[in-house]
Amino acid sequence: MSETTSTDLGVTPAGRGAPGSGPSDDARPILELRGVNKSFGPVHVLHDVSFAAYAGEVTALVGDNGAGKSTLVKCIGGIHPIDSGEYLFEGKPVNVHSPRDAAALGIEIVYQDLALCDNLDIVQNMFLGRERKNGIVLDEDTMEQMAAKTLQGLSVRTVKSLRQPVSSLSGGQRQTVAIAKAVLWNSKVVILDEPTAALGVAQTAQVLELVRRLADQGLAVVLISHNMNDVFAVSDRIAALYLGRMAAQVKASDVTHAQVVELITAGRSGDLGLTNGNGGAEGKEAP
Amino acid sequence: MMRAGPSQEEIRRHNLGVLLRHVHLGGPTSRAELTSRMGVNRSTIMALTADLTAAGLVREELPKETGRAGRPSLVVRPESARVYVFAFDVGVDRVVAARVGLGGVILDRRDAPRERGPFDLEALTAQLAGFAHQMLRDTAPDAVCVGAAAAIAGGVRAADGMVKYGPNLGAFDVPFGEELARRLDIGLPVAVGNDANLGALAEHTRGVGVGCNDLIYLHGDVGIGGGVIVGGQLLSGHAGYGGEVGHMVVNPGGRLCGCGSRGCLEAEVGERTVLEAAGRAGGDRVGRDAIRAVVEAADRGDVAAQRALQRVGDWLGVGVANLINIFNPEMVIFGGMLRDIFLGSAAQVRSRIAISALAASREGVRLRTSALGDDATLTGAAELAFAGVLADPLEALARVTSN
Ligand SMILES: Nc1ncnc2c1ncn2[C@@H]1O[C@H](COP(=O)(O)OP(=O)(O)O)[C@@H](O)[C@H]1O
Ligand SMILES: [Mg+2]
Repeated sequence: MSETTSTDLGVTPAGRGAPGSGPSDDARPILELRGVNKSFGPVHVLHDVSFAAYAGEVTALVGDNGAGKSTLVKCIGGIHPIDSGEYLFEGKPVNVHSPRDAAALGIEIVYQDLALCDNLDIVQNMFLGRERKNGIVLDEDTMEQMAAKTLQGLSVRTVKSLRQPVSSLSGGQRQTVAIAKAVLWNSKVVILDEPTAALGVAQTAQVLELVRRLADQGLAVVLISHNMNDVFAVSDRIAALYLGRMAAQVKASDVTHAQVVELITAGRSGDLGLTNGNGGAEGKEAP
Repeated sequence: MMRAGPSQEEIRRHNLGVLLRHVHLGGPTSRAELTSRMGVNRSTIMALTADLTAAGLVREELPKETGRAGRPSLVVRPESARVYVFAFDVGVDRVVAARVGLGGVILDRRDAPRERGPFDLEALTAQLAGFAHQMLRDTAPDAVCVGAAAAIAGGVRAADGMVKYGPNLGAFDVPFGEELARRLDIGLPVAVGNDANLGALAEHTRGVGVGCNDLIYLHGDVGIGGGVIVGGQLLSGHAGYGGEVGHMVVNPGGRLCGCGSRGCLEAEVGERTVLEAAGRAGGDRVGRDAIRAVVEAADRGDVAAQRALQRVGDWLGVGVANLINIFNPEMVIFGGMLRDIFLGSAAQVRSRIAISALAASREGVRLRTSALGDDATLTGAAELAFAGVLADPLEALARVTSN
C-alpha cells in the first residue's frame, strides 16, 4: 500500500454500516433551508437548494468557484432576499430580510473581507456597529471586559493587548477578532466564509481549532473552505454545492476525500449526489 | 465474615479528597455548588472546607462579583501559591522542569533543548534537579511541595518506575525516577509515567477530553506514543506498558522500527518517515520544526511534501481505524507533532477511517487536536504528582511536613 492512498483506492465506505446509526441522526437542525431559489436578474444562481446546520456541529460548505457558496451564505445572512423556498430557524418558518433580522435570530456571518477597521483597536472593532444593544449604552470598561471574557472563553491567548489597533495584528489574529466579534452576543449560528484562505499553516491551525471549539461549545458553525484537509479536520457534515445545486449533504465520517472531490467537480459520486437529468436537483443523503 | 462498612474517619478522608479534587480541577467553586456536586449537606461541606483550610490547602473568600441578590455563597479556592508539585517532562528534543501549584497553575518553569544522542542519566537528572533547585530558591518559605513526577518518552514499569525502553531517547533499563529523586533530595520520590499516558490523563482532566470517559491520546514526538482511557481509567496493562499503539504493526514487513520490529505505526508515521518521504532526511532541521516545515511546504505546493503527508496520513488513518474498532472511543486526540500531521493530512486520515472502521464505532468518534498543546505531557506529570494529596489530603500533607 505504500504508494497507494485511500483517495485512489476506489473503495468507498458505502454499505459498510447500518444507515442512520449516528448520534446526531435524530438531531433537528437549528437552521434549515428548503428548496431555495435565488436569481440576480436573468442569472439563476441557486436552484432548489436545501441546507441544514446543527448545534454543536461544524458543517462544511464546499463547491468550486462560482458554485454559489457565498450567495447561499448571503441569503442566510439576509443580505440577499430569497426568491422562493423555505427558511426555518429552530424548526419554525422565519422571514429574514436584512442582516438585522439574521442577527436577531442569533446568526452571524464572518465575511471573506472581514470588515474590520484598521485604525480602531480590538475592543472598538468587536463593538463596532453594536455599541448600543437594547438601548443600553456600554461604557469602555464594560466593553473591554466583555471582549476579554469572550476571547478568554474561546481560549484565545495569542493577542497581547486588547487596546492595540487591528492594523498591528497578523491575518490569523484578525480572523480571530472577527470570529470573537461574531460570538460576542451569544449567537447560535456562526458562518465563516473561507476564514483560512489567506493564512499560513500555523495560523490556519489556530483558526481551525477555534472553529472546532465554537462548535464544541454548542454553536452551529458553517465553514466554507476549498482546502480538503481543513474540511476533514474539523467538520461533522459536508454540504457540496455544484453549479448552484446542492449535490449532497453528508456526514463527514461516511465519505472519502475522493467522493467529496467528485461531488464538487461532477455533482455526483456513485449513488451520492445529483441524479442524471435531474432538473430539480434533489440532494441525496449519504447511505 | 462480613467486612465492616467504611468508618466515619474513612468517609471523611475520602470526602476531603473529593472536595480538593473538585477545586483542583474546577478552580474556585462556591460552597453551594460543592454541596450540590458532591451530594452531601451544607454542614458537611463547611466541616470539610474548614479542615482543608486549616491544613492550608484551600482558602475561602467572598466571590468577586455576584449576579444574584442575597447572601453570596463563599468561594473555595485552591492555595495555588502555597501547595505545589514538581513536574518534569523528558521529550526527545526538549526537557522541562516546572513548579505547578494546586489548581494546575504553572508557577515557574525551565525549558531546555535536549541533544539527540546516547542517554546520559547522570547529566539529565543533574540538569532537571538543578532546574528544580533554582526554582526552589524563589519559593516562599511557607510553601509546601506535595509531590514530584516525570513524563518520559519510554515504557515505564509500573512497579518501580524503571524506564524499560525508550528507543527514541536511547534509554533502556534506566532507573530514572530513583536517580532523579536522589538528586532532587527533597525527601520525596519521583513518580514516572509514559509521556503519552500522562498526556491522555492531562487531556482527560484539563484538556479537550474533559467529561469524556473513553478517549485515546496519540502523542507524536519522533515516535508515536499512545494513552488509552477506558471508562475513565487509564489503561496500564499488566506491567504498565499498555497502550503502546505506536508499536501496533500496521504494515508487516514495512519500515524498520526503533523497537527492532517492522511496520509499526511509529515506523510508518514517525518523524524519520515523514522527512524521508518528503526528501528532507539528513537536513539540519529535526523534530517539530522539521515536521512543520514539511506541512508548510505541502501548503505551498511542494509535491514531495504533499505526497509524504498523504502517505503518512493514510497510515495514521489505518492505525486510528484499528483503535476505533478495538476501543470504540468517544474521542481521539492528536498531540505533539501529530497535531501538525493530522491537520496537514486530515482528508487522508478520515478517508481511511471511513473505509476501514466499523460504521457503528466511527460515527460517534470525535477527532480532536490537543488543547494543552506542548504542555500536555508536563501537565499530566503534574497531575500524577498531585495524585497523593488528592487521594488523602491530610495524610499526604502530614507525610511531607514531617520530613
Ligand atoms: N450580486 C450578483 N449579481 C450577479 N451575479 C452574481 C452576484 N453574486 C454572485 N453572482 C454569481 O453567482 C454565482 C455564484 O457566485 P458565488 O456565490 O460568489 O460563488 P462561490 O462563493 O461558490 O464562489 C457566480 O456565477 C456569480 O457570478
Ligand atoms: Mg465565495
